[in-house]
Formats: sequence, C-alpha cells, structure tokens
Amino acid sequence: MNPRLLIAAAIVVLLGLGGAVRVYFALENQAYHPPVRSLGVESGFPREQALKDIAKDREAKAKAKKYEAPTYRTLPFVSSRVAVWVVAQLHLMFAAFVLAVPMFAFIIELIGYFNGDKRYDRLAYEFTKLLSTSFSFTASFGGFLTFLLIMLYPAFTNYLMEIFSWTFFPYVALFFAEAGFLYSYYYGWGKFHPVVHLLLGLGVNVVGTLIMFIADSWASFMMTPGGVSDAGALIDPWAALDNFTWMPINIHRFIGNIAFGGSVAAAYAAWKFLGAKTDEERAHYDWMGYMGNFVAISAFLPLPFAGYYLAREIYGYNQALGIMMMGGAFSWLFIIQAVLIGNLFLAANYYLWLGMGRIEGTQSYQRYVKYLLAAIAVCFAVWATPRSILASVSEIKAMGGTLHPALGVLGVMSAKNTAVNILILTTYVSFLFYRRTGKRPTVAWAALGNAVQFLIFFGVSGFVIALGVYGYFVDAATRIGLSIPQVLSVLIGMVTMTVIDAFMLRGAEQTGETHWGKLPAISQYVLIFIAVTFTWLMGLMGYVRSGLRQHWHVYGVMRDQSVDAFTPTLGFATQVISVIVIIFFAFIAFVFWLSSLHDKPDWGSAGQGPRGSHGPGGGRH
Amino acid sequence: MKMPVALNVVLLVVGSSLFYTYVGQLVPQKQLLPPAEVAIAADLTTDQMVKVGFEVVQQKGLCLTCHTIGKSGTLRYPDLAGVGDRAKTRKAGMDDIHYLAESLYHPDAFVVPGFKGGMPTINKPPIGLTDKEILCVIAWLQSLGGTPSVTMQTTLPDQAQG
Repeated sequence: MNPRLLIAAAIVVLLGLGGAVRVYFALENQAYHPPVRSLGVESGFPREQALKDIAKDREAKAKAKKYEAPTYRTLPFVSSRVAVWVVAQLHLMFAAFVLAVPMFAFIIELIGYFNGDKRYDRLAYEFTKLLSTSFSFTASFGGFLTFLLIMLYPAFTNYLMEIFSWTFFPYVALFFAEAGFLYSYYYGWGKFHPVVHLLLGLGVNVVGTLIMFIADSWASFMMTPGGVSDAGALIDPWAALDNFTWMPINIHRFIGNIAFGGSVAAAYAAWKFLGAKTDEERAHYDWMGYMGNFVAISAFLPLPFAGYYLAREIYGYNQALGIMMMGGAFSWLFIIQAVLIGNLFLAANYYLWLGMGRIEGTQSYQRYVKYLLAAIAVCFAVWATPRSILASVSEIKAMGGTLHPALGVLGVMSAKNTAVNILILTTYVSFLFYRRTGKRPTVAWAALGNAVQFLIFFGVSGFVIALGVYGYFVDAATRIGLSIPQVLSVLIGMVTMTVIDAFMLRGAEQTGETHWGKLPAISQYVLIFIAVTFTWLMGLMGYVRSGLRQHWHVYGVMRDQSVDAFTPTLGFATQVISVIVIIFFAFIAFVFWLSSLHDKPDWGSAGQGPRGSHGPGGGRH
Repeated sequence: MKMPVALNVVLLVVGSSLFYTYVGQLVPQKQLLPPAEVAIAADLTTDQMVKVGFEVVQQKGLCLTCHTIGKSGTLRYPDLAGVGDRAKTRKAGMDDIHYLAESLYHPDAFVVPGFKGGMPTINKPPIGLTDKEILCVIAWLQSLGGTPSVTMQTTLPDQAQG
C-alpha cells in the first residue's frame, strides 16, 4: 500500500474525529442547563444597603433644602395666561352686570315712585331678581381668580399686594356693605316705605361703584403704573391708585357696564317673551325688553367718547403704548371692533324700526327707514375699512403699495371718526322717530320746533363731515384734536334735539295706540344678538386693554418672565373670547332659569298659580 | 317643524360667536415675542455696529413703530431719513453723536419744531436699551445721510458707570 495514502487517510480520520467532537460540544452548549450561582457574589451583594443609603441621603437633602419662593407655577392642560384670562373676564362680566342692573333698576323704581305707575315698580323688581345669583357668581369668579393668581403668578401677586394692600380692608368692608344693601334691596321689596327702599337702592349703587373704582386701580396700575420708583418700589400709594388711566377706565367701565347690563337684561326679557303663554306676559316682557335695550343703547351712544378719553390718556402716558394700540400689532383688532359695533348699530336700529310696528300710525316715519339704513351701511363700511389692505404681491404692485388707491383714504382716523359720529346721530334719529310715532304735537310752535330739529341734525352732520375732510389737510396733532369738536357737536346736538322734543310733545295728541307684545319673534332674537355682541365686544376690549402690556406684568416695571410671555395672534384671542362668551351665556342661562322659578307654582300645588304675594315684593306688584 | 326656542337661542349665541371668531381669523395674524437679549461684543467695528443698530431699531427699540424713513407729508413723528446729516447742526456746540445720544437718553431735551414731545426715554423700561445697544443705534442713525463715526469705545455722558 502506498504509504502516502495511509498518511492522508489518517489525517482525514483525525480531522473527522475532531469535527465530530467540535459538533458535540457545540450542541452541548446550546442545551438547557440549570443556573449555577456563585455563592461568593450573592452573599456580598450590597443592594439593600445601597437602597437604604440612597433613601437616607435623599432624606438628609430634603431636610437641608432651603425654601425658594416660586416665581411661576403651571397648570397641566391649559396655559396660565389663558386660565387667568378666562376667569378674569368672566368675573368682570358678572361684576359689570351686578353693578349695572341696580343702576337702572333704581332709576326705573324712582320713575315709578314719582309717576305712581306700578308697572315701573314691577319692572324694576323683575330686573333686580337677576341680581342675587349673579352676585354670588361674581364673588365666586373673583375668589377663583384670586386663587389662580396666587397659584400661577405668586411673585407678581405679591408685588401687587405690596403696592395695594392698603386698599384691601376698605375693599372687603365695601363688599360686606354691598351684600347688605343688595340683599336688603331685593328681599325688602315692598316691605319698607318706598323712600327707604329707594335709599337702599342708592346705597347699592354708590357702594358698588366704589368697589369698582378700587378694583380698577389695580388693573389700570398694571398698564400705566404710577407712584413707584424706576425699580418698582412704592413711593406714593395714592399716585399708584390714581394712575394715568384710573379715572378714564372708571368712566369707561361705568358707562360700558350700563350698556352691557341693559343688553343682558333685555336678552332676559326676550327669552321670557319667546316663552310667554299669554298676551299679558308678552306685553310685559316686550316692554321690559324695550326698556333694557333703551338703557343699553342710551349708554352705548356716549361710550366711544369715553373710549377716546381713555385712548388719549394711554397716549399721554406712553406714546409707544398708544401707537402699539392704534398703529401697531393691535391695530387690526379695531377692524374686528368695527364689525362688532357696526352690527350693534344695525341691530339696534332694526329693533327700533321693528318696534314702530307696535304703534298705530307709524307709516309717516317708516318711509325714512331706507335712508337711515343707507347711512348706517355707508358709515359701517367706512369704519370697517382697514388702513392697509391684505393683498398678494401682484396686487400690491398694481396698487403701488398696501394702500388701496380709492379706499385707502377711508382707512384713516378722519374718515373713521366722521363715520362713527354719523352712525351715532343716525341711531339717535331712529330713536327720535320711534319716540314720536303715534303722537302729534299740539304746541303752537310745533312747526318751528320741527324745523329747528331738522336744522340741528343737518347742521351737526355737515359740521362733522366738514371737520373730517379738513383733517386730511392738517398735521397729525391738529387732526387728532378735531375729534373733540366732532364729539362735542354730536353730544350737544342730541341733547338740544331731546330737550326740544320733550317740550314739543308735552300734552301731545295720541294718534295711535301702542300694542305692547305685538311684535314679531325676530325682534326678540335681535335683542339676544345685541346682548351676545355686547358681551363679545366687552371680551375684545378687555383683551386689548390687558394685552397691550405685552410681555410686562406691570408695564415698564415688572417683566413677565414666564413661558406665556408672548402676545398671541388676534385669531387665537378671538377663539378664547368666544369660549368666554359661550361660558358666560351658559351661566347667565342658569341665572335666567333661577329667576323664572319664582313665577312657577309651588311643588304639589299645580294649577294654583305662582307663589305671587308670598315672594319678595309681592305686595307691591 | 317648529324649532324649540331654547335651541334657537343656543344656535344664535354659538353662531354669532363663531362668526366673530371667523372675522378674527381674517385679519393678519402676528404673534409678538418678547425681545431677545443679544450680547453685543465690545470689539465690533463701526460697520458691524450699523447692522446691529438696525436690528435693535426694528425689534427691541420699537423705533419704527412711530418713526418713518423717507416718508413726507403730515407726519406724527419726525422722519429719520437724513438724520445723520441733520444731527451735526441741530444744536449749536453739540456734535452729531452727542445730539443723537441726548435724543435717546433725554428725548424731551430738544423737540424738533412742528412736533410734540413725549418720546419714551430709551434706556429705561419698558424699552430699556443698554448703553452698548444705544451706541449701535447711534451708528445706524449716523448712517442715514451721514458717515458713522461712533465706536464701541465712545463714552457718553449718560452711560451707566461700570
């Protein structure tokens, strides 16, 4: 045998054996083996001891930790800014309602006391019924707001306390007094001598106004701080309270609250009208709605003038703040405001024109309605015209800028001031027509009176338009100053025409009867629409007043360092405002429902009528 | 079928609110952020200062909220075009740098004829520019019709000590 072959065969056999052994061990390694523990490692593992040491260390650190006052805290699902915004605005809305309703309830009761007409007394009581629950909601939202501020903005809240703590005791004392007056006024209806009851009503109003004045000082200080050093230290407490915008905001809110309260009370009447079962109920709630709306629109007409005063003071405090408001980031907000106010004017006039239908002999005035509507539509369009147009690049090139070649001239202050003054005058004329429908003056000078009123209306309109046109040819300072004679001429014109009308219609012959309750249902939805629009407007103006501070808690004194220190877009702001408005109406619906319970029969006494004389004030109805 | 009054009222309240919300979406949407704090190096060249100054003017300084550049007619606040040249002769005995510095640190010390005072003091809150930022703004103002000469080493009477 060849020895070489033998050697090769031996090598192959050896390799084969080696491979078989390798495969065996490989398979053996993959088979299951029970775990084998090292006793040495197990006994020496310090896990439990380590855990004890960690816990001990943590406890020691916790005990040694120093207290650090937080500057901000946050909420899990909503930003601090939005949470405070929503609650503050709801508090303000209920507060406005609670402050406003007693004002016109008191005046209506006073009228009833002097003319002896019991309907006025009943109407005043009906308005007052809305107050007690609203007062509780105001206080609840106020408490909620305070807790939110302490929780989310502790450093800022501490700073405000540093400045205004001296006002807290008077504020609380006034709140107790307000509760005393308000509940005595409500529960004491018909239980006291009318003069005593009227004095209680006066007390509610005086104390309520003082409460508002104190709260306004806190809010206005945040926008236009006074009485503090550059570093924010308190120097003069009274100057902090009586800061630049304190009185303008007091006046603006005083008038605005009446307009807002009147519109919500009118919405209540509209709600009751729509659900009324009898003609008598419909007549009563039609009248109530008319009175509420009359209060709202009467207060609404001078509101822009109070707004001018406030804006002027903002400019006076800091021009950059004023420019930011009217010419900067917030300028487009006033286009939204124009849409709201335009709608208010349209709706208020429409309601008055519909209201003429309940009076016999209305035809002589209804023929003018189309002209009034045209004037309102034109003024509305002018007021809502923006200074610069949103346009594509090609459109901007074609226009030679963002100003529209024809409409650009309407987007300036001269045109807008003129438009709003004419709107006010037109609405006033609608009211004058309504007031005169169904009456024929019997005084000898009636023709002259009419002619003078006519001259005043056209004279004032011409003067306002002439000043508006003149504004295009003068410098800015003069142009701004022109708004004052425009406003004054409109106010004087309205007062003069009212005085002439009052004397002219004394002892006027009644040519047609007023049929309260004979009004289409749409008129009541118009009243509710007016209330929604007023509420929305209040939310919008609340936003601009507060948002104007931008990234400052207290403008120029205390900067907002939180994650919410940015100013949101107008689109986002309008979404928040709508949420606030819907929540407010959900709450106010509850107030309406509670007030309505008073008229329902007692449980178990179905068919026996409402509690009537058992309820407050029943004796005087 | 007649809709219940309550449903009509709910639809009216929600519908009106939605309409106004929609109007709010139609206007320009701009979110305002707090001005960012930018550290300005001490060794900037004058040309670099002009660029930084323009950024400050547009953002933190809020200058262009009121002032215009190259606009004529009935203006509410002085137009800034050519101010670099005018500043040299506005006040007798005062050079352009010191005049511009005075108009920022003490805006009412000199009010341009035909205008009203009331411009906020620029180195104090709410605007609160730093001394370095003000030097850069002066460089930019000088560049409008003049030649910037201010440097980061220029000292001004109102600068904070240290």
